[in-house]
Amino acid sequence: MAEIKLKIKKKLDFPLEADSITPDNFAGKTVAGIKKLPLYYATKQVTIGDFFDVTGKSTDLADTKIIIDGDVSNVKRIGENMTGGEIVINSAVGMHVGNHMSGGKITVNGNADDWAGAMLQGGELEITGDAGHYVGSAYRGYWQGMKNGTIKVKGKVGVESMLWAKSSKPSNMWPTLYCGSANAFLGIHNHGGTIVVEGDVDRCAGADQAWGSIVIKGKVSRLLPSYKKVGEVKEVQLPNGEVIKGKFIEYSGDHTITKETKGRLYLAA
Amino acid sequence: MSLNNLILLTGRTISQGVALEGGKASRENVRAAGICTFDADDFKKLDCLVGTPVKVITDYGEVVVYSTITEEGPHPGIIFIPMGPWANQLVNPSSQACGTPQYKGMKSKVEVVKNGKVLGAIELIGRLKEA
Amino acid sequence: MVEKVRTVKDVCCPFCGTLCDDLEIDVDIKTDLVVEVRNGCQIGTKKYFSSNPSDHRYNKPLIKENGEHKEVSWDEALDKAADILVNAQRPLLYGFSSTECEAQSKGVILAEMLNALLDNTASVCHGPSLLAIQDVGASLATLGEIKNRADTIIFWGSNPVHAHPRHLSRYSDFIRGYFRTDGRNDRYIIVVDPRNTHTAQIADKYIQINPSEDYELIQAIRAVLRGSELDVKEVSGVSIDDIKELVEKLKSSNFGVVFFGMGLTQTLAHHRNIDTAIRLVTELNDYTKFILIPMRGHYNVAGANQVFTWNTGYAYSIDFSRGYPRYNPGEFSSVDLLMRDEVDAALIVASDPGSNFPAAAVKNLFKHPLIAIEPHKTPTSAFADVVLPAAIAGIECEGTAYRMDIVPLRLRKVKDAPGECLSDKEILERLIEKVKEKLGE
Repeated sequence: MAEIKLKIKKKLDFPLEADSITPDNFAGKTVAGIKKLPLYYATKQVTIGDFFDVTGKSTDLADTKIIIDGDVSNVKRIGENMTGGEIVINSAVGMHVGNHMSGGKITVNGNADDWAGAMLQGGELEITGDAGHYVGSAYRGYWQGMKNGTIKVKGKVGVESMLWAKSSKPSNMWPTLYCGSANAFLGIHNHGGTIVVEGDVDRCAGADQAWGSIVIKGKVSRLLPSYKKVGEVKEVQLPNGEVIKGKFIEYSGDHTITKETKGRLYLAA
Repeated sequence: MSLNNLILLTGRTISQGVALEGGKASRENVRAAGICTFDADDFKKLDCLVGTPVKVITDYGEVVVYSTITEEGPHPGIIFIPMGPWANQLVNPSSQACGTPQYKGMKSKVEVVKNGKVLGAIELIGRLKEA
Repeated sequence: MVEKVRTVKDVCCPFCGTLCDDLEIDVDIKTDLVVEVRNGCQIGTKKYFSSNPSDHRYNKPLIKENGEHKEVSWDEALDKAADILVNAQRPLLYGFSSTECEAQSKGVILAEMLNALLDNTASVCHGPSLLAIQDVGASLATLGEIKNRADTIIFWGSNPVHAHPRHLSRYSDFIRGYFRTDGRNDRYIIVVDPRNTHTAQIADKYIQINPSEDYELIQAIRAVLRGSELDVKEVSGVSIDDIKELVEKLKSSNFGVVFFGMGLTQTLAHHRNIDTAIRLVTELNDYTKFILIPMRGHYNVAGANQVFTWNTGYAYSIDFSRGYPRYNPGEFSSVDLLMRDEVDAALIVASDPGSNFPAAAVKNLFKHPLIAIEPHKTPTSAFADVVLPAAIAGIECEGTAYRMDIVPLRLRKVKDAPGECLSDKEILERLIEKVKEKLGE
């Protein structure tokens, strides 16, 4: 793996939009070339070199690893549209990290701001802290959001995570979110996404779910009245092949969408 | 006397609408929007006269306003403050990433402050301007 | 006989989204003061009277010097305002709801020139309704259809007796319509609210709901409508039997309408409350005719959304920082920007965030240079560094405004503005010229 190290060297009074920081854009470039790539700060176009110290070397896409140090909690759009390679961020990160990504891996060693992994098409996003709202969600006005790939959040995810997620059985695409706990409206408008929560979930999980699997190992603050108990299971078979062992109460929903539904929510018994 | 475990709602009243058109710096505005409306039975528990100043406290701030009894009850456990500078000391500024803050539904509690001073709108908002 | 007053008829009231178009204003010929208002509600009437000169009406441009407002010339004030905007790194242009459409479009031009953030009061009001419509569409109609056809009217989280005082008597309740010839007696009014509001008190059915639990109740109604037997006996404080009765009532209506307000947009779940309400209305169209209309608070916030959308593609919370319009409430919405202290100058037009934003956001707003285009002394303009006194649209200058049902109506000019006030449109035009000069264009 060829590593490129970025260290932020300025304090940010405004957000910095860094959609050019991707392995795709860095692959095959020299350090000088990388420093010239554009960033956007308030209303001005600047360069990576203006805001970051850059060291290391890059190679082809698959082997390019970008390591980002310093406080990037107000840097948005890192990893946007990436298709391969790796990014490791050693701080909290700003909004839209990994949005539209279709391959490769991003690791955030800290919290992530809103819209982490939005519109994910593939690849892996891992967040060791908490994530903001709209994790793995669709952007405004889109009726399909995350279509493939995996998001793992150790801590809590904010509201409306996995909004409009869409799976595809024929294409074997199973967008999946693993998280420690979740705020309200987890999996709203779900069309096949898979969600596994280690802990507790706030109200309205699975709101308007057409189909999909939501597994909650903790408690819900209030289950939607449009969900109905089906029975009890000793394990949950997820459509991506994974099996979650444990006693769960199986609920069908959301019955606002259709009278009979394949959508399921599993709550620890 | 105090009351806990209340839910605060804020919103339009016609008097507040008239007052804001009549001048936001006016006494009329204080009387229309610098108030907290209680359910009749809840108010009895405060053991004070209508109009006594009360301090309303939420996780987001506190403000002193005049107390009054609702004409739109019963609504036990709910207090109502008309929209405006007093109410906005108490509302939740977080929009949960949708853009609109939570102006209704905050958990709150109330304490009677007999000698409390209810500030005018300009003075109240003026305190937000640092020197 | 010498005429002492001139009467202007068919005046559109510039207060709330009902945009009543039948006001009559008497203006004293000698003094040019409003002396009588007929047909307006208390609030609209007060607005016309408060346009008369007073100690809380600005007559001249002001600049803050040593903590006090000092009267200056238009040139000096506009110059200072343009300086503030041009030197800012991330300026915000906010408000636009209480002015007419041409002024709003000038606002768009100015925001684009400055690569600024552009937002209107929908951001803290019915923005969630727009978000929901963008996700799930909406079945809409005009108020005239309600007046003529609606036999089931639901007010959900809306209290028109207080917020839209003549709505009930002009369109939705106490009025005879083509198919509702017996007026009130031909209509069934349902109110859903945590409080037994004055509107609830004149309704046929009042449903008391637990605060902040509207989403769950609407989900239950929709599931029952789909034919499901629910596992629960009660939702959000409402019994299953009441829910079933409500569903039957809605299905058996001739023409139903849901009017909704801040009770849905400003409580937790925000736009998802509207999302599910819209879906309920859509699903009721399997049985009968049902539509919904958001109860817009200001008389031309719908116009601001229209004008911004024609010009940028987006209705509010717009960012021009990368040279083209981008839209994302939560990221580019005014309160969120202020809470993150991301704005370093603000131009406030036809609105009062000082009064209406949460205190913590106002605190950050006041940390930076502030320009107010505003007719009256408000908690925003009182603390502005530059005050540009505006003529009141709909009273002192004409223009177009959009009603809550997106019907455009023409505002009239009833009298001249006092002092040196200029219309919002003209102020923004002059500001655009100054900014152009300073940007060297």
